[in-house]
Amino acid sequence: MDRQQEFVLRTIEERDIRFVRLWFTDVLGQLKSVAIAPAELEGAFAEGIGFDGSAIEGFARVYEADMLVKPDPGTFQVLPWRGENPGTARMFGDIVLPDGSPSFADSRYVLKRALAKAADLGFTFYTHPEVEFFLFEQPMRPGESPTPVDQAGYFDHVPHGMGHDFRRAAIAMLESMGISVEFSHHEMAPGQNEIDLRYADGLSTADNIMTFRTVIKEVALEQGVFASFMPKPFSDHPGSGMHTHLSLFEGDRNAFHEAGAPYQLSQVGRQFIAGLLHHGAEISAITNQWVNSYKRLWGGGEAPAHVCWGHNNRSAMVRVPMYKPNKGQSTRVEVRSLDSACNPYLAFAVMLAAGLKGIEEGYELPDEAEDDVWTLTDAERLAMGIEPLPSTLINAVTLMERSDLVAETLGEHVFDFFLRNKRAEWADYKGQVTPFELERYLPRL
Amino acid sequence: MGFAEPDRADTLLDDPALAGLTDPLDDVFGDGLPDALSQVADPDLALLGLVRLMESLGKTDIDGEDHAGQLIAALRHAGRARDRLLAVLGASSALGDHLVTHPGHWRCVTEATRQSAEQRRDDVVSAVTASLTSAGTRPAYDALRVAYRSNLLGIAALDLTAQTAVDELPLTAAALADLAAAALEAALVIARDEVGQGADDCRFAVIGMGKCGGLELNYVSDVDVIFVAEPTSGDVADEAAAITVGAQLATALMRACSAATAEGTLWPVDAALRPEGKNGPLVRTVASHLQYYQRWAKTWEFQALLKARTVAGDVGLGRAYLDAISPLVWQAASRDHFVEDVQAMRRRVEENVPAGESARQLKLGPGGLRDVEFSVQLLQLVHGRSDLTLRSGTTLEALAALSNGGYVAREDAAVLDDSYRLLRTLEHRIQLFRLRRTHLMPSAEPDLRRLGRAIGHHRDPARAVVAQWQQQAREVRRIHERLFYRPLLISAAKLSSAEARLTPEAARERLAALGFRDPAGAMRHLEALTDGLSRRAAIQRTLLPVMLGWFADEADPDAGLLAFRRISDSLGTSHWYLKMLRDEGSAAERLAHVLARSRYAADLLIRAPESVAMIGDAGGLTPRSREALLATMTAAIRRKNTADDAMTAVRVVRRQELFRIAVADLTGQLDRAGIAAALTDLTAATLQSALDIATRRVEAEAGGPLGTRLLVVGMGSLGGGEIGYGSDADVMFVHRADDGVDETDAQKQATLVVQEVRRLLGVAGPDPQLVIDPDLRPEGKTGPMVRSLAGYAAYYERWSLTWEAQALLRAAPVAGDADLGRAFCDLINPIRWPQGGVSAHAVREIRTLKARMESERLPRGADPKTHFKLGLGGLSDVEWTVQLVQLRHGYEIEGLRTTGTIAALAAAGEAGLIPPADVETMAQAWAFASTLRNASVLWRGRPVDALPSDMKDADGIGRIVGRGAGQGAELAEVYRRLARRARTAVNSSFYESP
Repeated sequence: MDRQQEFVLRTIEERDIRFVRLWFTDVLGQLKSVAIAPAELEGAFAEGIGFDGSAIEGFARVYEADMLVKPDPGTFQVLPWRGENPGTARMFGDIVLPDGSPSFADSRYVLKRALAKAADLGFTFYTHPEVEFFLFEQPMRPGESPTPVDQAGYFDHVPHGMGHDFRRAAIAMLESMGISVEFSHHEMAPGQNEIDLRYADGLSTADNIMTFRTVIKEVALEQGVFASFMPKPFSDHPGSGMHTHLSLFEGDRNAFHEAGAPYQLSQVGRQFIAGLLHHGAEISAITNQWVNSYKRLWGGGEAPAHVCWGHNNRSAMVRVPMYKPNKGQSTRVEVRSLDSACNPYLAFAVMLAAGLKGIEEGYELPDEAEDDVWTLTDAERLAMGIEPLPSTLINAVTLMERSDLVAETLGEHVFDFFLRNKRAEWADYKGQVTPFELERYLPRL
Repeated sequence: MGFAEPDRADTLLDDPALAGLTDPLDDVFGDGLPDALSQVADPDLALLGLVRLMESLGKTDIDGEDHAGQLIAALRHAGRARDRLLAVLGASSALGDHLVTHPGHWRCVTEATRQSAEQRRDDVVSAVTASLTSAGTRPAYDALRVAYRSNLLGIAALDLTAQTAVDELPLTAAALADLAAAALEAALVIARDEVGQGADDCRFAVIGMGKCGGLELNYVSDVDVIFVAEPTSGDVADEAAAITVGAQLATALMRACSAATAEGTLWPVDAALRPEGKNGPLVRTVASHLQYYQRWAKTWEFQALLKARTVAGDVGLGRAYLDAISPLVWQAASRDHFVEDVQAMRRRVEENVPAGESARQLKLGPGGLRDVEFSVQLLQLVHGRSDLTLRSGTTLEALAALSNGGYVAREDAAVLDDSYRLLRTLEHRIQLFRLRRTHLMPSAEPDLRRLGRAIGHHRDPARAVVAQWQQQAREVRRIHERLFYRPLLISAAKLSSAEARLTPEAARERLAALGFRDPAGAMRHLEALTDGLSRRAAIQRTLLPVMLGWFADEADPDAGLLAFRRISDSLGTSHWYLKMLRDEGSAAERLAHVLARSRYAADLLIRAPESVAMIGDAGGLTPRSREALLATMTAAIRRKNTADDAMTAVRVVRRQELFRIAVADLTGQLDRAGIAAALTDLTAATLQSALDIATRRVEAEAGGPLGTRLLVVGMGSLGGGEIGYGSDADVMFVHRADDGVDETDAQKQATLVVQEVRRLLGVAGPDPQLVIDPDLRPEGKTGPMVRSLAGYAAYYERWSLTWEAQALLRAAPVAGDADLGRAFCDLINPIRWPQGGVSAHAVREIRTLKARMESERLPRGADPKTHFKLGLGGLSDVEWTVQLVQLRHGYEIEGLRTTGTIAALAAAGEAGLIPPADVETMAQAWAFASTLRNASVLWRGRPVDALPSDMKDADGIGRIVGRGAGQGAELAEVYRRLARRARTAVNSSFYESP
């Protein structure tokens, strides 16, 4: 038993914790939780808690053995929303096999493998997500168009605004769970909010995003509203993206920074972007994994639907933010295609892998896009070599299917499950007769 | 007298610088200077050094004293002073040079005493401090170097004149570590001075690691350290500042030690053992260290921490660091993956021999110093958790403690202790000569001569020292046996009661750490194998310590040990078996590896223990040719009277040959193609023998010749020469009546023979059955078992279905009448390679059939991604793709007219019918699936159709196909990747091509 595990056990005793939730994530990014009594925790640290993985998305057995979830004591947190006494706490868990080796079905392990590969090349991967989401009035009925809690816009200050209280409560709760918040404000669409998490290493950020989504939903329930990370709930308002800033560090030096280079962007940084662009289409199915995701991507406005990069170009898939003098450490690239409903472990893993591939293969960075890509004509885009991202989930899946990069990053098991699941989702969607059709065709035809 | 160049010595002895030493003449012999010189390692060197020293003394004025006079007085008479000075001059040209530059230091040699760590520290630090404060003539760096060397002179003097060098070794090594600590402390003084005021805000400690931490330093070696810093105020807010200052201090300290000045350099300070190694921050706080070790550290890092000790700087901080970290060290054995890590580390040590130098290495390689240290540390980690007496940072102390606790046999510990001391002493003497960091035995005669004399060989020193070294190295080479396994045997065999024994608890810990899953069971087997006074028990007691190591190298040590016990139980009394194990070096090793690696081979051996003889036979593992096998089988058949006896004899030959092939496979002497060829030959020979026996019996019963000739045609993988351990033999039977024999009679006789062949092969026996599958014959299961050649001709003319043409692609005669075989091939060639290729209709039919098979043939519940034969990208996928090409283009492309999959695939690639990249991809996937299928049979002992679903199986199979231990889980990844790519190729080449 190491010190951290002892600390957890001691805290549990001192704080009178009656339940410990072990959190893990299925392949589609859904948080899963198993609650155990504190008395079982010692065993869980040593051997893990067995469960039948076959009922969980993507966990169908790779090996014919029970799966175990093994808590990571470094992620221990008392859950603030369950009341103080008796309390509940949570830890993230790794999925392992009975012999202690990690399960290839575990998203967290997918990311860990990608991070290990970066580490082999001497890099640490940092991410900084800006998570957007909507708040709706209760009751919320699936299938009906939801009512946003307000009608405000970008950066609006809403007096006595619901969102205002909400953000304050949410941020307090996030901070109490050890997740630092950098920024929060009202977003463009009615009822839409954005909260930016402070940058941290890839694995911590992914864990934090999982916690974040839960916290936001919990706080919303406490305040009598409903929170959703659905990429595009309204046809005529912008959707919820998760713009994510990425950077690589070599030791304590930012590997993207090179003083005096254009945009202070080093060779490594340029190759990383080139990798993101080169593989941008084939990783779309992971970064934008739902049928609905493509309605956000192709909904215009600030959503990037084309594979290109630019400096402060908000229509580009990859943006190099404004350089602040003497802040070499903050040089980074922002991927804008990602949405808030992705599986952050898998999404980070494929983005990292694409970027690293660019570095390893020494890809050339194409010219930057200076114009708003949406305003260009098809011919102009063709001339500039700007390719579109997939326009639907099935296009994305078809592209991903041919990608060795994605297969190798996810591992064959997750890769295979993901493709099957997404094909099934597309088949379900394709079979629907939509309100659009009923509205347009029923009267006329 | 020991001089290599007597003439030159004479001249030197007459040198005026030595005036006063060499006369009066009567002193020269007897107890005089030359006599004293003859005792030292290199008299020529000593004499030359002495002359230079005296000259230098004459030229230099030191504090106005008459150094030369005093030295002459000291040297005139026999005694400690003279012995020491000459010993140092005769052993080290580097220290001689130092004395010439600093002649006043001769007293450091002649008046050397043992010093405590504190004395050394005060001495070096005060020398450096003086140079800083008084802004003296020499910069601080030089002062540090001079003070260090003058101390080194004293250590060398005591070392070289000790009664027995090996006894002195621990004292010398400890003194060197103390001196290094003193130098670090002094370097820190310099560093604080350089950094200036800010330095006061930072508490700073240097933790010695490696040999410095273990109080067992070499004369010249990197000094391994870790730096710790904390703010003086204890205020967390100042932490960042303290770390910055700490990093400056550490950098300055390292520079003070390693920089080269006019006075040379000390040694590089190596901080690479710190958390995150070279990429990590140079300095951390205690809390930051702790956090790293709790979360990230690997097993080897804990092993390194065994030796941690505060060597310089803030003692309180050092203690805080050690208090925080050491508990973790002793819990390392309970961490995840400890066992795997230990095994991996063990392998790494064994593999870590630089090829060119291995013969001269004192440090690396099997039986080198590193190996001893490493093995001792591992045992400390395994047993030190519960036994506090084992927690020493010093190798020799730890070894003694292990021996006292019964973890290592007393005599083994003594041998290792001796060897370690000798190797270290050699290393010291070699390094001392030029103060160079080297771990190589010299090869030049003068160097060896000096080395030999330095450790007391005065007659033929060069050869004697090499002999002594090699003898010790041989002892150490068996270190794993001595340290890890022998104590288990002593414990199991309950032999000498006088000796401290491994407790059952400790034995279980040890076995578990070595990878035995059922330590209690293993202990029982060991007891059974070594119990009693029989010759067998005695031999096994000596053998098993080594064999345990070999078992432990494999995926299933428990099974290996059990199988060995069973074989030993059934063969144990036979003379040749014990002799083979004992005398034939590699036989026992090969046996242990094979048994713990493959259940298939172990089962074969348990059923037929006598096959083990093959393992001892040097050429015994080359598969025998089809002709040779057939000759043996035929001879065996002739000796037997009944058909059943004859078949049993044939099956014995087959069983032995199977074992031979399996062992050759497991030991890497056969590649996939070689195995397939050997197994195909064996199957063909067995079929031929069965056919011969059956024919003989039917003829005997009919009382006359058969009247027809028979042919066995191999189909599928048998026809393709690609058979595996678990393959059925797909066959068709053909006959042709002799001239003048009635067709109906001939058919009847042929049917009788075929029935007898099937009966003979189907008899249950102790060997894996050769299952024959005749379902590919015309009309399948409903058709007659055997047809005449004319019958085949008529059938194919009338019916000839597409799937039959496809099956015939792999038809090849394997047994029976050769002429008939040729005739049969002439018959089928136009069917399988039809002129102009098969029709578009047939192509569509084949594709549809394949698509239907993919969904229907797969067993219920099987995963199409992992099924070797029928899965996506599996064997069938590739074979059907190749066969479609053969059916369409076989008539025009010579290379396609073969029954081998890979050969035809390659031909299709060359002819441009399949893109080269796809050929490559499919060939890889096909070969890997075949290899895995074979490996699975070897591992599990029975046919396996899909990727293993059990981790242990995956590991075992992974090792058989040459992947490292513990990489089994990745096997599935690799297979699925290859299969996925192959499937893409199949999609385009089989389904989509025009």
